[in-house]
Amino acid sequence: MVRRRARGYSLIEVVVTMSVFGLFLVVLLVLTSEMRFYEKRLPVNFMRHPQVSIVLSKLKRDVMDAHGSDPYRAEHDGYTMSPNTLILESIQGNGGVQTIVWDFSKPGEVRRRAYNVGVAEEWIARGVPPDFSSQVVIDAVGIPGRPYGVRITARDAKGRMAIDQILQPRAHE
Amino acid sequence: MSARKEIPCASSAGHEVPESNSLQNRIFPAAAYNRVMRRERGFSLIEVLIAFLILTFVITMSLAAFVERTRRLQQASEMILAYQALGNEAEYRRRMDYSSLEAQPVAFVSDTVLLEPLTPFGTAVKVDPAGNGLKTVTLTIRWRNGEREARLALVRADTGGSNLW
Repeated sequence: MVRRRARGYSLIEVVVTMSVFGLFLVVLLVLTSEMRFYEKRLPVNFMRHPQVSIVLSKLKRDVMDAHGSDPYRAEHDGYTMSPNTLILESIQGNGGVQTIVWDFSKPGEVRRRAYNVGVAEEWIARGVPPDFSSQVVIDAVGIPGRPYGVRITARDAKGRMAIDQILQPRAHE
Repeated sequence: MSARKEIPCASSAGHEVPESNSLQNRIFPAAAYNRVMRRERGFSLIEVLIAFLILTFVITMSLAAFVERTRRLQQASEMILAYQALGNEAEYRRRMDYSSLEAQPVAFVSDTVLLEPLTPFGTAVKVDPAGNGLKTVTLTIRWRNGEREARLALVRADTGGSNLW
C-alpha cells in the first residue's frame, strides 16, 4: 500500500511569507496612490506636443510684431475674426507689413496664412491634438494704457484649462 | 473476494518499474505524476523567501523608476501652468505706472483660473528698488503647501512715462 505524506508549509512559514509580500503591496500602493491623485487633478500638458509648442511660438511672435494701434482685422480673404480665427497685421523681418490669418477651425490642424502683397503663403501644423485645436479660444484682453492683446486659451477633453496665455503687441517706434 | 493485484512502485517496492510500461501509469496518469512529485522535496522557506525578496526588489525598483518619471512629468506640467500664469501677470505688471508699483496689489491681478489644479496655491508680488531708476518686480506662485515654487522677476525702468518696454 502506498503511503502518502503531504508535508506543505507550516502556519508560521505561510504567515512570514505573506507578511513580506504584504509589505511589498503596501509600498506599491503608497507609491501609486499619490501619483494617481495628482494625475487626476492636472490637465493634459499640451505644451509637451512639439506641434503645439511651435504653433504657440509662431503665434506669439506674430502678435508681438503686430503693427499699429489696432492691428486686428475683422475680415480677410474669406476669413472672419472669430474665437478660433485670428487676423492681424504684423511686421516682417524686412520691415514690411503682412496680413496673417491664424485658423484653428479644423480639428487636428492649425493653419497660418501670411499675405504679403496679396500673395498667400501657407504654413500648416498637422497632427495637432484634436482636443487642443478644437478647444482653442482666441479672445481680446484689455490691459490699461495699451492696445488690445490676444488671450489664447485651450481646455482639455475634461474641460480643464490647459493653456492660458496673454500675448501683447510690442512697441515698434 | 476480489483479487486486486498490488502494483509495485518505486517508493514502496524499492525498485523502478519502467514508467511508460507501468499499468498504473497507463490507467492513472495523475497517480504517476503524484508518485514522481513525492520524490521531490520542494523548496525550503529560506529559498522561497529569497526568491520573493529578489522579485520584490526588482519590481520595486522598476516601479520606483516609473513613479519617479511620472512625478517629474507632473512637476513639469505644474511648472508649465505656473509659468503661463507668471507670464500673464508680467504683461499686467509691465504696464503699471512705474511710480505706483509699490502701491499695487500684492496678489496677482490677472486671471488665475489656470492655477486651479494647484489649489491651494498662493501668489505674491514684491517690489524692490534696484537703484538708478530701476525696480525689480518679483512674481511668485507657491503651491503644495509651499513645497513648490515658481518665480519670475521683472526689472522696470523709470522712462518718464514713455513706451520703453
